[in-house]
Amino acid sequence: MKMIEASNIYKSFGGKTVLAGITLEVNRGEVVAIIGPSGSGKSTLLRCINLLEKIDKGKITVENEIMVTTNSHGKAEYADKKKLRQIRLKIGLVFQNFNLFPHFNVLRNITEAPVSVAGISKEEAQQTAIELLEKMGLEDKANAYPCELSGGQSQRVAIARALALKPDVLFFDEPTSALDPELTNEVLKVIRKLAEERMTMVVVTHEMAFAREVADRIIFMDNGVIVEEGSPEELFGNPKNERTKMFIKGFNK
Amino acid sequence: MKLLLLLGDGMIVTVQLFLLTLIFALPLGLIISFGRRSKNFIISGLTGIYISIMRGTPLMLQLVAVYFGPYYIFGGKIDRFTAAVVAFALNYAAYFAEIYRGGIESIPKGQYEAGEVLGFTKSQVFFKIILPQVIKRILPAISNEVITLVKDTALATAIGVSEIFRAANNEMSRIASIKPLFVAGLFYYIMNLVVAQAFGFAEKKLNYYK
Repeated sequence: MKMIEASNIYKSFGGKTVLAGITLEVNRGEVVAIIGPSGSGKSTLLRCINLLEKIDKGKITVENEIMVTTNSHGKAEYADKKKLRQIRLKIGLVFQNFNLFPHFNVLRNITEAPVSVAGISKEEAQQTAIELLEKMGLEDKANAYPCELSGGQSQRVAIARALALKPDVLFFDEPTSALDPELTNEVLKVIRKLAEERMTMVVVTHEMAFAREVADRIIFMDNGVIVEEGSPEELFGNPKNERTKMFIKGFNK
Repeated sequence: MKLLLLLGDGMIVTVQLFLLTLIFALPLGLIISFGRRSKNFIISGLTGIYISIMRGTPLMLQLVAVYFGPYYIFGGKIDRFTAAVVAFALNYAAYFAEIYRGGIESIPKGQYEAGEVLGFTKSQVFFKIILPQVIKRILPAISNEVITLVKDTALATAIGVSEIFRAANNEMSRIASIKPLFVAGLFYYIMNLVVAQAFGFAEKKLNYYK
């Protein structure tokens, strides 16, 4: 079973087409990195799969559950709210700007959703939260507030918050782009660890070296289409498309 | 002092008017702010007009309208105190609505999105994530309005409500001394000190995060 299957996704904002027929799939245990220039639609694609945007046309399934499909009139039709809520629990999203809840301390940021959304007991949620924080190396920050954390710490808490719901797939929308260079490593370390544990992940990133090292597959997007995809060796070592070549070259300084 | 006892009833009425207005206006203002932000242009248009009229005409005029209106329009009667509470609540709800709206619109979209992807319902996102942050942000603006309300209660004298100002005014004429007015003034001042303290305390409590 494919974890994520997206076929022929079209999405426009106003008159502008941002996704022009995206088809991709993600397998269990895979780490897929999506790279490409700004405005290529990478973030929009992630947001569409995570139900933050509604697509115009196409089909998306998560673990064989249909999230949205195109009806006979050629318009996207979404599953009912209940089904979408169930699907939401299978996928998690880590934002570029962390989006931690400033009025909750770190522990509550992580436990609030499991308790209020997944109906997990407070004790169990706190236990899971502390384990996750230990994994991130942040167990001593459990009672701190987001305003007291550095960017790298905040992002690691955001990852813990997403993991607390035990999603089957974790999406990252440029997880290190808002961080100072010194702080990106601590976040990349966490993602690397998750990859070793065979967590299914889709990471939109500009960190080429990281993508090359951690991803099983790289997707290069430009102008709302997938230009090329392949293993890191194929894409970075032997890009077939001209556009891909140009983009890669820009990073190999 | 005997004077205090004489004016005591007026003080009680002032405090009642103040509290009842807040009890109704604070939630009503939130509802109106939702209406103002509604995607339905009829609802947002109507609430916009309501807010504009409430803020654009004198509160004293609205007091008189609410008290005498029912009689002139359909021969009904409304008791003075009730009329005052209704007029004050409707007026202050409009001001609170704009303050709420400003606060809600200042919360970054990312907070809504983080809530959504974690599976919170729209109502959970609003009450657990957004509203607590809004309250912290609007506290100074709300405290301004509340302090104004303490003083505005004196306007109820226009429709004969026996709050402290009317009581003091009457007593002043009766005993030909300015003492009652002084007592009333002192009462308002102390009431506002208490309000300012309460809001200062609330702001401090909410300062556990930035």
